[in-house]
Amino acid sequence: MSEIRSYTMNFGPQHPAAHGVLRLVLELDGETVVRADPHIGLLHRATEKLAESKPFNQTIGYMDRLDYMSMMCNEHAYVRAIEQLLGIEPPVRAQYIRTLYDEITRISNHLLWIGSNGLDLGAMTLFLYAFREREMIMDMYEAASGARMHATYYRPGGVYRDLPDRMPRYRESPWTKGKDLQRRNEWREGSLLDFIEAFATDFPSRVDEYETLLTDNRIWKQRTVNIGVVPPERALQLGFTGPMLRGSGVEWDLRKMQPYAMYEHVDFDVPVGAHGDCYDRYLVRVEELRQSARIILQCVDWLRANPGHVMLKNFKVIPPTREEMKDDMEALIHHFKLFTEGYCVPRGETYAAVEAPKGEFGCYLVSDGANKPFRAHFRAPGFAHLSAMDEMVQGHMLADVVAVIGSMDIVFGEIDR
Amino acid sequence: MSARPEAVVETVRIEVDGIALEVPKNSMIIEATDRAGIDIPRFCYHPKLSIAANCRMCLVDVEKAPKPLPACATPVMDGMKVYTRSRRAIDAQHGVMEFLLINHPLDCPICDQGGECELQDLAMGYGRSVSRFTERKRVVQDKNVGPLIQTDMTRCIHCTRCIRFLEEIAGTSEMGGVGRGDRLEIGTCIERSIDSELSGNIIDLCPVGALTNKPFRYSARAWELTARPSAAMHDGLGSSLYYHVRGGQVMRAVPREDEATNEAWLADRDRYSHFGLYAGDRVRVPHVRDDGEWREATWDEAMARAAGALRAVVSEHGGEALGVLMSPSAANEEYFLAQKLARALGCGNIDHRLRELDFTDDPARPCVPQFAMPIAQMEAADAVLLVGSNVRHEAPILGHRVRKAWRAGATVSAVNPLDWDFHFDLAHKLIVAPQRLVDELAAIASALASDGGAAVPDALAERVGAAQPDAVHRAIAEQLRQSDKGLVLLGHMAQGHFLASWIRQLSGWIAAASGAALNVLAHGGNSVGAWLAGAVPHRGPAGAAVAPGLNARAMLAEPRRGYLLWGFEPDFDTANPALAHSALAGAEHVVAVASFATSSIADVAEVILPLAPWPETEGSMVNVDGAWSELHPAGRLTGEARPGWKILRRLGAELGLEGFGQIDIGDVRREMPTEPQPEFKPISVAALPPPPAAAGLYRAGEVPAFSLDPLCRRADALQETAHAQSAFVALHPDDAGRLGCEQGDAVNVSQDGAMVSLPLRVSTRVPAGTAWVRSATCATRVLGDGSGPIAVEAG
Amino acid sequence: MQAVTRYLRSLMLLELLRGLSVTLRYFFRPKFTVRYPEEKTPKSNRFRGLHALRRYPNGEERCIACKLCEAVCPALAITIESTQREDGTRRTTRYDIDLFKCIYCGFCEESCPVDSIVETDIHEFHMEQRSESIVTKPQLLAIGDRFEAQIAANRERDAAYR
Repeated sequence: MSEIRSYTMNFGPQHPAAHGVLRLVLELDGETVVRADPHIGLLHRATEKLAESKPFNQTIGYMDRLDYMSMMCNEHAYVRAIEQLLGIEPPVRAQYIRTLYDEITRISNHLLWIGSNGLDLGAMTLFLYAFREREMIMDMYEAASGARMHATYYRPGGVYRDLPDRMPRYRESPWTKGKDLQRRNEWREGSLLDFIEAFATDFPSRVDEYETLLTDNRIWKQRTVNIGVVPPERALQLGFTGPMLRGSGVEWDLRKMQPYAMYEHVDFDVPVGAHGDCYDRYLVRVEELRQSARIILQCVDWLRANPGHVMLKNFKVIPPTREEMKDDMEALIHHFKLFTEGYCVPRGETYAAVEAPKGEFGCYLVSDGANKPFRAHFRAPGFAHLSAMDEMVQGHMLADVVAVIGSMDIVFGEIDR
Repeated sequence: MSARPEAVVETVRIEVDGIALEVPKNSMIIEATDRAGIDIPRFCYHPKLSIAANCRMCLVDVEKAPKPLPACATPVMDGMKVYTRSRRAIDAQHGVMEFLLINHPLDCPICDQGGECELQDLAMGYGRSVSRFTERKRVVQDKNVGPLIQTDMTRCIHCTRCIRFLEEIAGTSEMGGVGRGDRLEIGTCIERSIDSELSGNIIDLCPVGALTNKPFRYSARAWELTARPSAAMHDGLGSSLYYHVRGGQVMRAVPREDEATNEAWLADRDRYSHFGLYAGDRVRVPHVRDDGEWREATWDEAMARAAGALRAVVSEHGGEALGVLMSPSAANEEYFLAQKLARALGCGNIDHRLRELDFTDDPARPCVPQFAMPIAQMEAADAVLLVGSNVRHEAPILGHRVRKAWRAGATVSAVNPLDWDFHFDLAHKLIVAPQRLVDELAAIASALASDGGAAVPDALAERVGAAQPDAVHRAIAEQLRQSDKGLVLLGHMAQGHFLASWIRQLSGWIAAASGAALNVLAHGGNSVGAWLAGAVPHRGPAGAAVAPGLNARAMLAEPRRGYLLWGFEPDFDTANPALAHSALAGAEHVVAVASFATSSIADVAEVILPLAPWPETEGSMVNVDGAWSELHPAGRLTGEARPGWKILRRLGAELGLEGFGQIDIGDVRREMPTEPQPEFKPISVAALPPPPAAAGLYRAGEVPAFSLDPLCRRADALQETAHAQSAFVALHPDDAGRLGCEQGDAVNVSQDGAMVSLPLRVSTRVPAGTAWVRSATCATRVLGDGSGPIAVEAG
Repeated sequence: MQAVTRYLRSLMLLELLRGLSVTLRYFFRPKFTVRYPEEKTPKSNRFRGLHALRRYPNGEERCIACKLCEAVCPALAITIESTQREDGTRRTTRYDIDLFKCIYCGFCEESCPVDSIVETDIHEFHMEQRSESIVTKPQLLAIGDRFEAQIAANRERDAAYR
């Protein structure tokens, strides 16, 4: 028998299971992975340096493009950092809207994850179902912010606009009319909140369907159980956060541990895994889908009952409304200055983190008192997770690499920044 | 007046926002806080202007004071406790800001000041967020104050900085306030233009958008502009300024604070001249002439042609057949390389003093003709004698210094060929026809010699001895002698005079005999640099001995076979445009290196190489104080224009000369001397030629302030001002009466056989025997010497 | 015993059949998809799509070249050159938006003091050449003229929130 030499193989950056632009250099001994060396930087856009060259507000739009699966959560960390430096607190209604949209974002992220991870591991159907639900979430994004993904919706001091009282509806067409049209517009008759409520009420039953397809499925279990096991101590050492950490059995969730926005006032459970393998991480995420729907319903109830401002009335930081700007000298000056020069943030440094769907997304800001950050750094959860790649796939088969990448839920927008 | 006593600085201790400060007694609170870096908002206060305390923005809370006090007008007292951010101070600031904004229009989006507006900044920093004012706002009609300044008087907040500037600094009092309360309007009272030579500064002073830069109007926003430090190149002072550049294009100029030269001000000429940069006749690519037809060429081709032309002249007729004439506003590196190139070709004929006529005393002149009394010290002078100088327009910043000295009590006297309108009063003035200037100076010298007994040098003795000083001469002499810091200032009219060497030597002796300093202001932006770099015919770099060549005048009077023209227009920038034209037209080869191509160049040259003018080129300059500045390009090069030193390096290499292999401008600078040679000594002149008999009319060919160089002449806004009106001849009423002409008549002015018809002005500002016909203007470019005999006949 | 039951049950492929029943049910349900482009999914009136420059009802362009949009644009996608028009008003001589640079954040519309630059709800636009990504002032005004009714209606509906 001739000797089999280990050889080196490039996994990505053009591989469909590489989730974006991961270039993974694998050293293989036959089909067994000896070493995995992830290369990053192919999606580097110098976001941190960009942030340091622009007035604070102009970077909000770039936050969406970090982890482009959980847009508003990134914005949330950034605006929270600015708010901490400025020492301002947004109105409660804005905080509820942020809580609501953080959870909508979580569902959106996990849906994409469950769909694409299923696809990676051979479960095609789920991808289609997940995207069907995701479509509605895109509509919720669009109705509130005007963009289906890159929302630029959160602002220091609140959110840009209140939620609209009307959802856009399907129009009649030769193929969709009468009852069909009515069915399509069933959830859309009322306001955005009605739509969200209908969605969140219905959503757990959809999750049941996903679970029917996957949870007990023997192929799924064969591909995920006991793959990429990370013991809890090791997970902590590696800096894991989010479902990756909870999948290993560590109960750590910023929404509970360091509550922000309105998480203190809503009721939800934090699911925790037991084995730290890909399957447990899957279970944790699926349960988070249900918990998010729960939080959403609580937020909708509160928002419906408590109308009010969604932005602070502080023109030194927040631009006046258009009506004020057009016939008030002070307001016009503040509008002009805020949109050209921006506001100056007091000297200081701060770190603000949110429990993003993928883990702890943090924003470290240093201000020297100017109108742009002296230093901005973003802590991307995916970076720590990807760093453990070598450790997690060593000794596994080549096919398991895909399962591990999938269960990490990495997105290169945030890793490369 | 004697020198002011040295002030002993007494200090008092005050406390501002809990910070203990020790500040000079009698200073204002705002001066103390400014020095300590504590911000107090203000509109009307400006450290260079008097205190008005009328905006009330700087109200601060002073312990034990019943009301908030204006920080700009409250002197500090020992133990005073000041709070700038206490409740009462903030309330006061809010209140003042609200009142200021009541009548301010909602113009920010269309206002040029937007983004650099003090009102906006302070409203953000110290004002309320929302207005409570719902009534109608007042509207004030705009005033047209000329082509340089745009007014939007509705935006005015009545800080009166412009009024105080024009009254105190510019000395013209052209603006004032009419009405009171909310009917107060700032303006020129009767609608007229603001003609001060420093008028542009009120744009910088205006904290709002009421006064803005008119030619710059609506063209860019403050945040789009990059400020590039540079210096002005029109009057030898090298006023520090910033060019504001957008996309490589120079958009505007603003002053850069420099106490040694321009303080916080900038002359209009320096502020607006850059608008000429992108004029239609700018040379953007090299041009060559084939059979009388101009066509564009590549640099390679044009360089070969230029080098070929110079080589042809030198090889056929010898180096002496070549003449190198340079603009007095070029860079040191250009002067240095040009003289190196000329002298390597065996040609000593190089000069930059295009507007001068009399070079007899060249050997006696100092190596570097810099000011004996630096600009910054001129305001401390206690007696000033102006000789042939309209200092106010020749170098407005210098004029401002003289005015400062006058305000501090100095006596200013003048010996001038025209009775110019100064912004200071003259204690004594001798307004005489140009040919009599020498006699007047000799009379002052005679008064000094007889009273003080100092020996007059031989060359001047006869003339001084013959002079008959009267009371005025004696008074001027006495003032200079009595002064601790006397100053004799020679201006452009003295330098361009046909007897300039007499004037220089006499003034020099007067200054020496009275213990005064002699400041000689030459034409152009970098004459001092040209002397130092050796762009004069009789001396090499740093005064090195060389075989003397022909001076600028002689090069034209004794026509050469070939010329190299550097950065000027022969019909505008020479003392005798008619002579220049005939000499150049008769030459076999003329190579022109120019930024702008006029017909006077196109008619005579065979190659035109595009030269980058000042804001686009790199180079160093030496100002009249002898201060070096190395300037970096502000704007992007237009077309294929190249910096002068690169053109000369290439030309030298093309001609196969040694020492033209510099890699960068640093290499050129390392080669150049920065100090005069230690062994250098001027040689005193043995004799000056006797002045011609003074009979008939003589021309006072003053160069209008805004026609000084090719760049100014192309700045449209400057050419629309009142100062640019130039087509006239002015005569004393006696002379006009002799001609039988009246104001407004067309008269024929002739000089050296050329004649033009000009409207006549009759003015007592012109002394008898003088014809005031400006040089460097379209109408007079066919005439002869700027200073010399001229004939005026009824038309 | 439990192991035996599990083994038997696994032989029956129960969990796979349950999964298949889900997909089978969807087989008979109405479709979720729409027949694009004949049919379109609904779009919010806040949608941020292709830009347009608007005019006043009297035909005068709204833009006054204040350059706030240029200043606030995070992607530096807007290029404006301005000058004084013959009637003395402040106007643009150039207003270019590079649609490839644009990140559709909507700040330009937020900053505009005269409601001139807007992001319409048009999302279906394409270019055939690289250089076409830069839309010029006449093009933007033409878009504004063509879709003015729609633009105005969308802004009207959102007026209370802005």
